[in-house]
Amino acid sequence: QQPIKVSGKIVDADLPLPGVTVLVKGTTTGTVSNAEGMYTLECPPTSTLVFSFIGYTSQEIAVGGKTSINVSLATDATQLGEVVVTAFGIEREKKALGYTIQEVSGSKLAEVKTSNVVNNLSGRVAGVQVNSNGGPGSSSNIVIRGMGSVSRNNQPLVVVDGVPIQQANTLGVDPATGQRTRNESRFGGGISEVNPENIASMSILKGPNAAALYGSRAANGVILITTKNGAGTKGIGVEISSSATFERPLVKPKFQNTYGGGNGYRTWFNNGRSGAITDPREIEQYRAAYGPNAPLNGTEGTDESWGAPMDGRLVRQWWTGDEVAPLTPQPNNWEEYWETGKTFFNSVALVGGNDKGSFRLSIGRLDQKGIMFNNDFKRNNVNLNSSYNLTSKLKVTTSAEYIKSGSDNRSFQSSQDFIWAHRSVSWDQLKNWRDYVGVHNQLPGDNLPPNWQHTFFVNPFYEQEFLTYANDKDRLRGNMSISYDFNDKFSLMVRSGTDYWSDTRTNITRFERISGGNFRAGQFNEEVLRSQETNHDAMLTYKQDFGPDFSFNGQLGGIYRNNFYKRNFTQVEQMVIDKLYTLNNNASPNTNQSETQEFNVQSLFAAAQFGFRNSLFLDVTGRNDWSSTLPINKNSFFYPSVSVSAVVTDLLGISSKALSFAKVRASWAQVGNDADPYQLYQVYDAKSPWNGAIPSFGESTDINNAGLKPEITTGQEVGADIRFLGGKIGLDATYYTKSTKDQILGVEISKATGYNRRFLNAGEVTNKGVELMLTGTPVQLGNGFQWDISVNYARNRSKVVELAEGLTTYTLYTTRGLSTEARVGQPYGTFYGTAFLRSPDGQIVYDKERGTPLVAPGQKVLGNIQPDWIGGLSNSFSYKGISLSALIDVKKGGDIFDEGTGTARWTGQYAETAVGREEGVIGKGVKNVGTADAPVYVPNDVIADAKLFYSYNNPRTYHESAIFDASYVKLREVSLGYQLPTFLTKAIRAQSARISFVGRNMAILFKNTPHIDPEVDSQGGNAQGFTYGQLPNSRSFGMSLDVKF
Amino acid sequence: CTKDFESMNVSPNKPSAVSSAVLLPNGIESSVDRYWGHRARFERINLDGGMLWVQYLARNIYSDEGDNYNMSPAYYTNNWKGFYNDALQNFQRIIIQSGPEGTAPNANYEGAALVMRSWVFSLLTDIYGAIPYTEALQGTAETPIYTPKYDSQEAVYAGLLEDLKIANEKLTIGGPAISGDIMFGGKIDMWKKFANSLRLKLANRQAAKKPTESRAIMAEILSDPTKYPIFTSNTDFAVLKNANGLPSNNEWNQVMIQESRTDWNLSKTLVDKLQALNDPRLAVYGQPVNNQYIGIPNGLPDAIATTYLATSAKIGTYFLQTTTPSVIMSYSELLFTLAEAAVDGDIAGDAQMYYEQAIAASFGQYGLTMPADYLTTAGPATKENILTQKWIALFGQGIEAWTEYRRTGYPVLPTPDTRAIFLNDGVLPTRLQYPSTEYSLNKSQLDAGISLNGGADDKKTKMWWAE
Repeated sequence: QQPIKVSGKIVDADLPLPGVTVLVKGTTTGTVSNAEGMYTLECPPTSTLVFSFIGYTSQEIAVGGKTSINVSLATDATQLGEVVVTAFGIEREKKALGYTIQEVSGSKLAEVKTSNVVNNLSGRVAGVQVNSNGGPGSSSNIVIRGMGSVSRNNQPLVVVDGVPIQQANTLGVDPATGQRTRNESRFGGGISEVNPENIASMSILKGPNAAALYGSRAANGVILITTKNGAGTKGIGVEISSSATFERPLVKPKFQNTYGGGNGYRTWFNNGRSGAITDPREIEQYRAAYGPNAPLNGTEGTDESWGAPMDGRLVRQWWTGDEVAPLTPQPNNWEEYWETGKTFFNSVALVGGNDKGSFRLSIGRLDQKGIMFNNDFKRNNVNLNSSYNLTSKLKVTTSAEYIKSGSDNRSFQSSQDFIWAHRSVSWDQLKNWRDYVGVHNQLPGDNLPPNWQHTFFVNPFYEQEFLTYANDKDRLRGNMSISYDFNDKFSLMVRSGTDYWSDTRTNITRFERISGGNFRAGQFNEEVLRSQETNHDAMLTYKQDFGPDFSFNGQLGGIYRNNFYKRNFTQVEQMVIDKLYTLNNNASPNTNQSETQEFNVQSLFAAAQFGFRNSLFLDVTGRNDWSSTLPINKNSFFYPSVSVSAVVTDLLGISSKALSFAKVRASWAQVGNDADPYQLYQVYDAKSPWNGAIPSFGESTDINNAGLKPEITTGQEVGADIRFLGGKIGLDATYYTKSTKDQILGVEISKATGYNRRFLNAGEVTNKGVELMLTGTPVQLGNGFQWDISVNYARNRSKVVELAEGLTTYTLYTTRGLSTEARVGQPYGTFYGTAFLRSPDGQIVYDKERGTPLVAPGQKVLGNIQPDWIGGLSNSFSYKGISLSALIDVKKGGDIFDEGTGTARWTGQYAETAVGREEGVIGKGVKNVGTADAPVYVPNDVIADAKLFYSYNNPRTYHESAIFDASYVKLREVSLGYQLPTFLTKAIRAQSARISFVGRNMAILFKNTPHIDPEVDSQGGNAQGFTYGQLPNSRSFGMSLDVKF
Repeated sequence: CTKDFESMNVSPNKPSAVSSAVLLPNGIESSVDRYWGHRARFERINLDGGMLWVQYLARNIYSDEGDNYNMSPAYYTNNWKGFYNDALQNFQRIIIQSGPEGTAPNANYEGAALVMRSWVFSLLTDIYGAIPYTEALQGTAETPIYTPKYDSQEAVYAGLLEDLKIANEKLTIGGPAISGDIMFGGKIDMWKKFANSLRLKLANRQAAKKPTESRAIMAEILSDPTKYPIFTSNTDFAVLKNANGLPSNNEWNQVMIQESRTDWNLSKTLVDKLQALNDPRLAVYGQPVNNQYIGIPNGLPDAIATTYLATSAKIGTYFLQTTTPSVIMSYSELLFTLAEAAVDGDIAGDAQMYYEQAIAASFGQYGLTMPADYLTTAGPATKENILTQKWIALFGQGIEAWTEYRRTGYPVLPTPDTRAIFLNDGVLPTRLQYPSTEYSLNKSQLDAGISLNGGADDKKTKMWWAE
């Protein structure tokens, strides 16, 4: 038979489908469709062609002598052949996996772009909890399946193209003390620097089971990012993507607009500090407003709003100088304060490929302006991925990315400016402080920028403009790998990758001024951070089928990892020339700090997968690590995993329309973890030299431990994946347990020992949970209309089983005497603090004379940071080229300590505090008219002074008053997209073009916090659940355009 | 390829051993700063504790930060921690490494550290009552103690009086030099004077409870000035001379000038008393506002206290300078101690003479001369007058004045302002509660310690030395 040349076009609906494999059945002859979906192939005229593509149902078409065969592939709703990326980038059929992996496609992530791509996971992936904060370029806190480590990192490992990238926010150091802190989220790092346009797919490996092969850092799960590399393209193409979004704060607190700033029903600006009123003219003005008996002093030194009714009375204000002006409400000062944030994403990619290889070169730029005045962020990503088959057996791939990011000012005044504030202040005026320099009164000799007061606050716009925190960061991430197929059974991959970054930060902390008659010089610090992680790894793979029923696939490998970190910090304590930011512009010795950190982990691992009839699978893995951070005799540790997957429908030969697919899975895994470096031996800490001259050291208050051993996390899970009605409905359910033992813990000890903590292996925390994912296609019409729904739900219960011997509590974070703790027998992250006294039926008990709430003795459980459950609901509708989708993100339960709300109530900012100011307030609850021993509770009817009453919201003393349930239901994402029809794209010679209108954080459909968005992360890391005037999260609207040529 | 693991894991950032010369300044600075300040809000044991309770100062805002006897948990937790971890442990390390068996024997470091350790322990026991003393500071000992037992205040005093005697013996003039001595500049004679003056003070403090032992100690010291030198003039001070370079500045300067806190004014009690005596020290302790001195009554709720903000007397500029010294023990304080001991019959000597010298020394301390008719107004050397004058002289040393008030009940404080609201059932704090960390980390020893105090762990249980 003479072969004939067959050609044609492969489409999905009416869109060309590139990258489809076309094979002559029963042979290895084949080709791949090009960017226009076209293919050409020589084959015998009687042969059969097999068209296959990931995510689509394969089709077989008999050639039958035809030379033109056009094919329309349908998406495979059952996704039975779905291939996912697992550990080490090994692509495997999802049905073969005995553990949970959830994948999110790059197109989903790029549709509604966020500067930190991980924020797109919230509500989309079961069991993944993301807490973000509003700052441009900042990172978010990610927790998968609950927090398992008492004191150490609880965030997943992030791997890009097979090589880990560092999440910087665990390396924070407090410049004041030199102590390691966790509050580095402002600077982002790691996953937040990834350009979403470059992502082909993201796999979420939840828990140790999926991640055992990644070793130490994988106990919290792994986020595996595969970037686009141009594979499957023929010829050259260009992809352009551009988007612009605009942000405004999502939640506005409910302010009172009745009473002005100050105290005692008086609002009067004298000199910025509540000084005495002595000038005869001022006395006259003052008496006109407040009568003959009011005390003769200003009220601006009180940064609260218990002042005069804003009834238009004539008073001196910060901007009126020696004149008076009507005192009027400023209900819109919140809107005046915030700017409209702007985010522009632009990216261009050049892709190309042929049968030998492919490449993708992309340049992306992010420009962000925060909602805070003079707060911005920029990022440039240049990425080159390529792959080339040097011979049929030898393949070289490289992935390299340079990221330059930074900002003129990363700092943002928190909205403390609305917590300690005067409601009578116009922020527009404050922003234009330059207009009032000649008019504004202050102490003689002082030269402060005009402000509503000078006792505690500096004009926030001045601070934003001059006290900047700039940074300039370079990151180079890349790897190259060579793989060689010895034959169809053996192959070897050798790879080397590194992730290097360096960040220079300049923080201006004080400007030169005379305040209260005292001169203070300017102050700034400069910090240079350098960090590098290098991984070299090699992996030998062996594949063999034994007869038609059995298959085997094994890997053997080794990894060499090295981490290096260096920090240099210098603070100029007193500058000579103001606004000259060079380190030798100093009037007194600078404060210097430096830190170096290096460690090394070497590993060997092996994995084997056995398959039976392509429907029963057994995976076994083992890994041994040697870590430099552990004592020499304990630095080697081994941990195994085993998992099983059984496709019940195949094994039992079930084939029905109702039950189209059923799989059950089970797995057990362990992951070991090492210590942080330098935890074995006692050291001394450098202190600030006496008068800059006499050196000073102190013994470290940590007792280190030369007998540390590795920690072990054990995870178990069972699950099922069931599809009904030909895949129209799918259910995936998982139950898991996870337990971390022998945790390396800095355990607090009695300070009378002379020390604060000692390091030891102690403690166990367990997490148990359920994850459900339900997918369905309720409507699919012949005219192309389709409605898809996906729902996910996850609940996790954690429990602190044990801490060190004799120790029952470990403090995670503490502020104002309130702490979150890991306490034995309690869930991780329980709030302990001062509670109000309550009657047996739960009502607050009030003082029977003063009418103020009484306080319960001791510390009480006030809540817990962990949610009861989290979930998401996504709906998408598509019709022809139009698609509409909406994502609802739900968090039920979990508490926060909102110190901002408590404080702003105490300081008279919020609407509820305007109630009863003149006539007094009666607290809802009871009073005890009996004795302490024999209480008799009757409804409280005592009228309390309003200011005194509301001061019981002071969260520094009355912690319970600021504990709120942080549940929310958010309309997280809405997008409306339109795929331009072919006749239009042809006109501009494009392959495809799509325009979308997108919105993020559109609305909070439900919440229990009266004044703020309950989604907070102000401290980062394990110190979740705290907020105090955090930069508000914003609602964003925008549009994006994606064109492919 | 793991052979360099061991060397790789030795910290390149921090030394594993340091000399006593660099530990001494850190121990001195951290303990004196805490005693004299402290600079951290919610744990200012002097500014928001002693200075308010004995009514030198009063708060014009946030009266619940100490003035109304409320304290945040940070107050009793962090002061306990700071004294033990930042101060005592460094003195302990010096004692170990400069002791005869240590890595760098030097009896003068050992003696100086023992004096400082004793002073800090005396502060701790005077503030809390029973404290871990004999078993304290053993966290890295060969047999470490992680839950140290409490010693009664009586036992701690006995130990300190013995420690100070040993310290005086260790300290050898002409012996090995010490450096890093930011208090006395390496002058061993000053360390000896401080050791013996402090020992005398502690002996007097317990004299009502243990008269025989205390008298013997006082006699031992006073009978042999060569062996037991004590302060003899206003140049013999135990003070830390604060420096211009931050953060070695005076804590009051840090809080009130560098951090611009203006939350305190002079208390009405102090102003009234000094005005009644026509005492020129008022112009040192305070600054007039609108040419007059008006004090704020203690314990006023914020709404009332803030109305005094603009009109009441401010703290004197002398105390706000960067270099104003932190006084640990003054010559005048020693003389008042001797005056009291003489009046009580614990030592031989003329009480009136000590009393007059003490007042004169206090004036001299500020470069003032006692007005000629001052003693007439002040009255004779009765116990009450001695302690009232001592209270005036101790301005700035709030903890010490609070201790003396709790011990003797002097000075007699006026009836509180009717508008004042005090917590603690209106009882001026007799002590601080133990920190919550002891409850969670050392419970059984703490329980035994509380019982040693003979009362509940609250701010009302009286100290052992209370007369």
